[in-house]
Amino acid sequence: MEKLAFLEVEHLTKVYEDGTKALEDVSFKVERGEFVVIIGLSGSGKSTLLRCINRLVEPTSGKIYLDGVEVTALAPDELRRLRRQIGMIFQQFNLVKRASVLTNVLSGRLGYVPSIWSLVNYWPREEVQRAFLNLERVGIADKAYTRADQLSGGQQQRVGIARALMQEPKLILADEPVSALDPATSHSVLKYIEDLNREGITVLCSLHFLSLARRYGRRIIALKAGRIVFDGHPEEIDDRRFREIYGEEAVEVEIR
Amino acid sequence: MRNQTVTPKAIPHIHPGRRSLIRSWQFLMLLLAILLIYGYGWRVTQINMGELFTKAHLIRPLLSSLVRPDLLTRDQEVQVARAPFLTGEGELPTLPPSTEGTSLNLSRTRGRIGDRLVVRGQGFRPNTEGVLWWENQIGQRLPMRRFKTDEQGRFTLEIAVPQTPGVEHVVIAEVSWPVGPLKPSETLKIVTERMIETVFLALMGTTIAVVVAVPLSFLGARNLMARNPVGFTIYLITRTVFNIARSIEPLIMATVFAVWVGIGPFAGVLALGVHSIAALGKLYSEQIESIDPGPIEAVMATGATPLQVVRYAVIPQIVPQFIAFTIYRWDINVRMSTVIGFVGGGGIGFILMQYINLLQWRQAATAVWAITLVVALMDYASAVIREKVI
Repeated sequence: MEKLAFLEVEHLTKVYEDGTKALEDVSFKVERGEFVVIIGLSGSGKSTLLRCINRLVEPTSGKIYLDGVEVTALAPDELRRLRRQIGMIFQQFNLVKRASVLTNVLSGRLGYVPSIWSLVNYWPREEVQRAFLNLERVGIADKAYTRADQLSGGQQQRVGIARALMQEPKLILADEPVSALDPATSHSVLKYIEDLNREGITVLCSLHFLSLARRYGRRIIALKAGRIVFDGHPEEIDDRRFREIYGEEAVEVEIR
Repeated sequence: MRNQTVTPKAIPHIHPGRRSLIRSWQFLMLLLAILLIYGYGWRVTQINMGELFTKAHLIRPLLSSLVRPDLLTRDQEVQVARAPFLTGEGELPTLPPSTEGTSLNLSRTRGRIGDRLVVRGQGFRPNTEGVLWWENQIGQRLPMRRFKTDEQGRFTLEIAVPQTPGVEHVVIAEVSWPVGPLKPSETLKIVTERMIETVFLALMGTTIAVVVAVPLSFLGARNLMARNPVGFTIYLITRTVFNIARSIEPLIMATVFAVWVGIGPFAGVLALGVHSIAALGKLYSEQIESIDPGPIEAVMATGATPLQVVRYAVIPQIVPQFIAFTIYRWDINVRMSTVIGFVGGGGIGFILMQYINLLQWRQAATAVWAITLVVALMDYASAVIREKVI
């Protein structure tokens, strides 16, 4: 039997209850340490694909392997242990707005700590130290005790990154992490993600703008109506390919 | 030039129906119907603005009492002197002794109704106010005059023998003056006691409501329940019960509960509780429906257990609002509990009604001030707390 890649997705299909076909026979492999950008129009299945990998969305059929483990076959308990290794970053940051930045970051560690202590929001000293370290990495340690909703969009997304880092993840799934941010902030957030990738964390990141995908991705997977229509180097996307992915009417917009 | 572009002639073309409607008989009928409705309404509710002025003297005692509510009092020292009077045959009765040193003399001890009579008193405290009473054979007292003693402690009054039943009468002079320090009046003590009862009535009613409404509100949240037919049915039933219970005024509920468990604060607690369960249940349910699924997804993605998800993603989103709604409701219940006594639900409303029925205006004024003060305080406190929580 040939050796499995770090992440393998095989014939993945997702049909929602209302009949919407979000993904259709999607297959690809990702090696450890890659930075893969997923592009496609809204509704092309990017979010569903990322959420199938940590089973926030249950796939209808197909298999997913992560580091040799068949994700799609895990029981709830095993799934929770697997999720600890997969950090996730969201378009709308998904912070608990009324909680402090520190609590939000610490919540990334919930999979590791005993349930009873965490239920009363008691955290061991080393976990708090870890939270401050990760906040320092994204440059907002001074905001630890601020309420999450008092922060700017860019800062909130950095809290989101710090929360994902608490998991000490092998893989980061980033679901349009910069769509809610302005161009300048987008670059700073993507640079943080790029840094993590350089340190060896594999990144799967969906992006809206092709220009950002070209700048940060070393490999691009394009989805259209739930199917993979392109998988290769950014330079290979020429005008013809671009129209294939985004439709005949589309014009490429530059984000610098 | 521009003005001419919109000519008056153009209007009938734009609104072809309007003019004909105003002229039509339907419009006339509608006008007539409205006139009839309001005419009848005016009559049936007995609106008479003039009464506000012609009957102003009836409200004056209450309004003027508001300026001097019955709050503080001092002990009274009293001197009493008595003298007998007969309006018929018989022996002069022996009376209880007068206060030491005082005496009361009448210019005559027998006479008829309407006879003039000079009353002289001496040995009283100088320069002090007093009241002269006429007590008839069955012990009823009529106030005759107010007087003030002179520098020697004497007074002289001329009165007419009043028309009152019996033969044996007693003329009583009572001189009184305050001594000792100011202290809370009996009224203030009663009002304070009842006000505390009122606040606790609101507290107990609200607490019962919270305890019941929190679990029920999850059953009334569409996003949690409407996933399958059974859940949807439970959701519908819960919401319907909330809506019906909410539409019944606490005052009406208190009337019913007063019949059930008897007049008193418990009836009030039940009435406020049941109404608040429905009111809070609806607000809580709506809050649960409006939570953001994003944080739930994010906490689930970290590998948290379902309990941890509830603790870190659900509770932080609903608890502050729940607290705010609860304080708001308690605020309403304090106001409600001040009037729930009118229908037998206990609390301060009960004695306020009593004072008004007995025309004890100064005591009523004390109760009115107590209500105003407590409601304003609770209002302010709840606003401060709500601001802190949200």
